[in-house]
Amino acid sequence: MSITDVSILGEFEQVVLLAILRLADDAYAVTIRDEILQCTGRDVSRGSIYITLDRLETKGYLKSRLADSTPERGGRAKRYYELRPRAIEALKEGRRALVALWRGLEGVLT
Amino acid sequence: MTQHQSRVLRLLARFVPSDLRESIAGDLQEEYLRLRAHRGAALAAAWLWWNTARVAIIFRWERTAHGRPLPPIGDELRGFASMWDTLRQDIVFGARMLWRQPGFTVVAGLALALGIGANTAIFSVVDAVLWRPLPYADPAAIVSVSEQRPREGRLFGPISPADFYDWRRDSQSFSSLAAYSDIALNITGAGEPERVRALAVSPGFLDVLGVAPARGTDFRPDEETFGRHRVALLTDGFWRRRFGADADIVGRTVIFDGNLYEVRGVLAPAFWWPSQPDVVVPLALSNYDRTLRAAHFLDAIARRKPGVSLGQARDELAIIGKRLSDDFPEENTGHGPNLRPVRDALVGDVRVALLVLFGAVALVLLIACANVATLLLARAAGRQKELAIRAAVGAARGRLVRQMLVESLLLALLGGGAALVVAVWSLAAVRQVVSTQFSQLPGIALIGIDVRVLGVATVVSLLTGLVFGAVPAFMVSDLTVGSALNDESRGGSGGVKGRRARTALVVAELALSLVLLVGAVLLIVSFRNLTEVSPGFQPEQVVTTRLALPSSRYGDYTRVVAFYEALSERLQAVPGVTRVALTSAPPFSGLDARLNLEIERRTAAFSSPTPVRAHPRVVSNDYFATLGIPLLRGRGFTEHDNNTAPNVIVINQVTARRYWPDEDPIGQRISLGSPQQWRTIVGIVGDIRHGSLDADAEPEAYMPYAQRFDALGAGLARGMTVVMRTSLDAPTIAPLLRAAVATVDPQQPVAAIQSMEDLIARSVAPRRVNFLLLSVFALMAVTLTSAGLYGVMAYLVGQRTREISVRMALGASPSAILTLVLRQAGSIMAAGIALGVLGALALTQSLTALLFGVRATDVRVYAGVSLLLAVVALLAVAVPSVRATRVDPISALR
Repeated sequence: MSITDVSILGEFEQVVLLAILRLADDAYAVTIRDEILQCTGRDVSRGSIYITLDRLETKGYLKSRLADSTPERGGRAKRYYELRPRAIEALKEGRRALVALWRGLEGVLT
Repeated sequence: MTQHQSRVLRLLARFVPSDLRESIAGDLQEEYLRLRAHRGAALAAAWLWWNTARVAIIFRWERTAHGRPLPPIGDELRGFASMWDTLRQDIVFGARMLWRQPGFTVVAGLALALGIGANTAIFSVVDAVLWRPLPYADPAAIVSVSEQRPREGRLFGPISPADFYDWRRDSQSFSSLAAYSDIALNITGAGEPERVRALAVSPGFLDVLGVAPARGTDFRPDEETFGRHRVALLTDGFWRRRFGADADIVGRTVIFDGNLYEVRGVLAPAFWWPSQPDVVVPLALSNYDRTLRAAHFLDAIARRKPGVSLGQARDELAIIGKRLSDDFPEENTGHGPNLRPVRDALVGDVRVALLVLFGAVALVLLIACANVATLLLARAAGRQKELAIRAAVGAARGRLVRQMLVESLLLALLGGGAALVVAVWSLAAVRQVVSTQFSQLPGIALIGIDVRVLGVATVVSLLTGLVFGAVPAFMVSDLTVGSALNDESRGGSGGVKGRRARTALVVAELALSLVLLVGAVLLIVSFRNLTEVSPGFQPEQVVTTRLALPSSRYGDYTRVVAFYEALSERLQAVPGVTRVALTSAPPFSGLDARLNLEIERRTAAFSSPTPVRAHPRVVSNDYFATLGIPLLRGRGFTEHDNNTAPNVIVINQVTARRYWPDEDPIGQRISLGSPQQWRTIVGIVGDIRHGSLDADAEPEAYMPYAQRFDALGAGLARGMTVVMRTSLDAPTIAPLLRAAVATVDPQQPVAAIQSMEDLIARSVAPRRVNFLLLSVFALMAVTLTSAGLYGVMAYLVGQRTREISVRMALGASPSAILTLVLRQAGSIMAAGIALGVLGALALTQSLTALLFGVRATDVRVYAGVSLLLAVVALLAVAVPSVRATRVDPISALR
């Protein structure tokens, strides 16, 4: 049974994808982490960001490009991430599922 | 960053995929610079390394978890967690399996607890005595120096003073060479008079050990000169006990044997020496004593110079020894110096005994392992269907093996935990035995459960788990789904392989048990042989105590005699005391001496295979009657054999046979030691065992204490032992004896009062401990083995139920069935016993040094033990065999 094809995203994967979406052109590991911290208050470890980005790229949700090697980075390029259409679909699907599940439960949990 | 930069990159390069490396390093640098601007360089650098390491670790985990598709959820720890998860599942599952089969768990756990516990306890003793470093600086450089007489089969004997001083003067191999001798001193003055243990040492003794006094200073080199020697070092314990840890003790004077000694210092609490002295004093020999070359009573230790090997030091001493035997042929022919590491000297024969016990206890653990392995195999057979199904639905073989191993490791740890309880209990018992009877061994105080012992117990438990778990684990991993399910349907379980493994394990158990039993029985027989040796006198109802009269108050010989006369008279009057006597060296006391013996009118040409020597004993008139030593010929001593009468002497039978093989020794004159002093032999008494029951009687010569014996030194008469034959036991007689001594001389202390039977028991105590422990181990082995044999036979019979039913249905009688089953059991037993006999023949050779009156290959022992084991094994197979004859053919075939 192969499980890589399942188009259900993990919670943290959704968080990362949404952060990238929000950052638009400026999405690389450092800003992604900052964005997650700002929006959710979660101080995520750098390693998990890198691993997740790598996985999402392997699974075809993200594409990356190298650019912008500024001197304060010792001349090293930033790896910018951008969502593939497949990721947008998966996010929409995730949101739809959650909203559907939430419907009628607002009173219970407020 | 520049100095960190390349190192960060290098670290990342090892774990992070190459395409991500650059950008991650860039990210880290960017954040590092930001942090440095706000919080300073040090914190930023720490942050950088911390985070680089974390990133590296996460990628590292990722890579270990690789080799299969990435998990669906973006949890960075997923790879690691899943590994831990399955392990946890295995552990939980294993624990549940153990919990659900409490019978199996308890039996297996108990077997392991006994095996591991006994090993832990013995390891603790062996470690403390044989392996822990001695409490000295660089203990490997310390050697014990002795004198050897190879022709007499004696390799490590005491040294004569003249030889010692020559060796010390001429040898270059040692930074320090020091003689020592255990003595006793009477301390008087403030407090009760007391007899204390003392160690007389030549200066440099502490340098050899590499220890220094905690207070004050060591002896000066000139303090071994007689007359300048009245200085003392107190041991910490004695300083606290006798002087209340008086901080101003150094420089004060104390009275030993009536002389003033200056306290030179106090030794550190950690100072340890086998004889456990209270005080250390200089070994100050008189000018005359220093020239003695034929009287051997000193021991010595030395510290090798750096770079000088044991062999080089031995060679150098041998050259010096050779020159001395050329120069002094009369005294030194056939003598020479000998060296060995100091621990060998301190531990002595105990090493063999300890290693034998260690080997025995390891065998017990092997048997326990085999036993648990057979249990596990039987259980695995019962679980074969479960395992086959798990394999069928996709469990990897590795996973099944891991499951089995996790279970056996759990079991081993369970057993190991229980083993600690066993070890603590048995160590409490061991400590009680060794602290009284083996207190002179190094490291005795260290025996106990500590980190080392705990570590060994844990490692042994885990290894044990692997050993007994591996066989069943690989056996099940080998099964194929079809064969297992088929086998099951035929009513068998375990397959040919499992059956063979189990049979082999039981054969091994039987063989190992036989080895242990043979060893134990050999020691038991030795002990019985030894205790049946007659000491040559009647030790029952005899108590002894040693008195040492100080030369300051008893310098005059007549005063010494007067003291003993008065004391004997008082003791005779004590109700319950039948006889009182005195001796310079009672048997089994450890006191002894040996002197050259001259025979009047015998020329030097008189040849004897061994040197002409005898052990001198100075005794009172009633000595032979008191101890019950038979007078064989002539007469004993009477009150007429006093200082004014002609000198007389009584010899034992060995002396008579050895030196007068063809003539009557009575009436002959002999002289012991020097200066020459002729004494007429007036009687011959029976031989007695003096040092130990297992040593042959030596030539002895008895002299009346009322006559002068200058050759032996006047000191001998002052240190006499009172021997009493009495119906009272030692504790009862003690206060009466002390009171009697106090009325004669209130300043005279009395040493420990011991019964002769205790002294003899103490001389055989190490053997008693050996055979008791080995018997306990053998008993454990046999019990475990019978249980294993029972299990296997029950299983084999169960497995053949169907076959037996068919046979019975076809008309086989119960006796035929019984024969069938017993034949199977018989072949297992025969194989086990045959292997065991071979193993025992090989292994019991190491026991030779511990045996007495029995050979390591004694046929009766082997036959008896084999028979015993066969009977026990038959009992173990009886129940399953009889059960086989009761098989109901109908129900079994249904």
